[in-house]
Amino acid sequence: MGEVELSCRAYVKMYLHACLFPRCGINGLLLSSGSAGGAVCVTDCVPLLHSHLPLAPISQLALTQVDVWCSQTQQRIVGYYQANACVSDSSPTPCALKIADKISEQFDNAVLLMLDGGKMTADYRLPPIVVYERRDSRWLLKDKHTIMLRHWEETQAIAGQMLESGDQALLVDFDSHLDDITKDWTNQKLNSKIAELASPANGNI
Amino acid sequence: RRHGGVCCQKKKMATISEMYDVGWEEMRDKLRKWREDNCRNSEQIVDVGEELISEHASKLGDDVWIIYEQVMIAALDCSRDDLALTCLQELRKQFPDSHRVKRLSGMRLEALERYDEANKHYEAILQDDPTNTAARKRKISILKAQGKNAEAIRELNEYLEQFVGDQEAWHELSELYINEHDYGKAAFCLEELMMTNPHNHLYCEQYAEVKYTQGGLENLELSRKYFAQALRLNNRNMRALFGLYMLAGRGTKESKCSMKAVEEMLESMQITMS
Repeated sequence: MGEVELSCRAYVKMYLHACLFPRCGINGLLLSSGSAGGAVCVTDCVPLLHSHLPLAPISQLALTQVDVWCSQTQQRIVGYYQANACVSDSSPTPCALKIADKISEQFDNAVLLMLDGGKMTADYRLPPIVVYERRDSRWLLKDKHTIMLRHWEETQAIAGQMLESGDQALLVDFDSHLDDITKDWTNQKLNSKIAELASPANGNI
Repeated sequence: RRHGGVCCQKKKMATISEMYDVGWEEMRDKLRKWREDNCRNSEQIVDVGEELISEHASKLGDDVWIIYEQVMIAALDCSRDDLALTCLQELRKQFPDSHRVKRLSGMRLEALERYDEANKHYEAILQDDPTNTAARKRKISILKAQGKNAEAIRELNEYLEQFVGDQEAWHELSELYINEHDYGKAAFCLEELMMTNPHNHLYCEQYAEVKYTQGGLENLELSRKYFAQALRLNNRNMRALFGLYMLAGRGTKESKCSMKAVEEMLESMQITMS
């Protein structure tokens, strides 16, 4: 299967989502604004839930609303991410597999990304992620060499800096949006902040 | 709890009293409010509490002990073992034989992931006082932290046979069942909660979500009924509103999610939105 590229914006928002709710399981959708063929470029993500991940109605609602937003903004849903509440186990839960299955019905090269909570300490050098792809109707580990994070050191630095400034408090997930309908789950403010911190020399981030 | 101290590495630029122009009494009152509301805003509690204790401990009178406890627990949540230990030591000095303080020692061991030692603390408390519910709950929390959900569920069920009125425990059990995808049993727990808390819109809404997830005609009918009930109890419950909307077949990409359609539906159910 093909390559997957994870953008700075997508990674930082997933990371901040996990940091905002460190005691909960969290999940979200991975989006791409790129074309359908070739490598899958995950250019953005939408944080969804931090409670009752396995329950259907809100997940379905969120998927529908994100789908509509994507069709209005020339993006597509290309994957799903999740971080488990229990740090010792970063394997995909049945609900993760179910949602990822649904996404792969609409997009062949869908990815399932698990954040590994145990590896999210400040001194950990590598991206704390485990990526799965669908082969023969099962979700199997993707070859690490096909997963790219351009400018990883810079991305990691941005994530760390925003965490230190407490910027995760700015992140809005779908759950928070339902608590206060005026909050923006597309996180435009956060996107701007990330873009500001990314060095101008790096072009497409 | 994920990645320990990462979340609390903020550098402090100024004191709380400087930043927010508050005196020690306001800080103390804020801590009391957070205690009463059972908030888990641990980073804030640590910021305010640490300053209050280090600068104004002598002014707090007897309140200081409950503040030490509150700050200690918040410190554990933020991986501030230094602060937690300071608080714990003060409490140990003042209340050397207390079960309540022993439980706090146990919680510190839990935070350090020394679960076997923590369990020994709780078992010692239970030997002395078999009715100590706090120690029993901590033991169940350890099982949860270790990912032993099936065992946690078993223990919690046993606990509830004895302490059938413990709302917090019923809700915790419903959460565990949901995570195990055992929706039937989760529904049962929520039914208990709805019986004893008929005006709580959150329980109705969560019950409706579980029924929706279970699927099938009867369950969806119940789901609709309880989303509606949640909305009657609190006409700002967005999850209940959207739940109803989707059950009415209008939450699809094809149909328009217009406010007018929502209003018409609510009118037919005689629910007024604020």
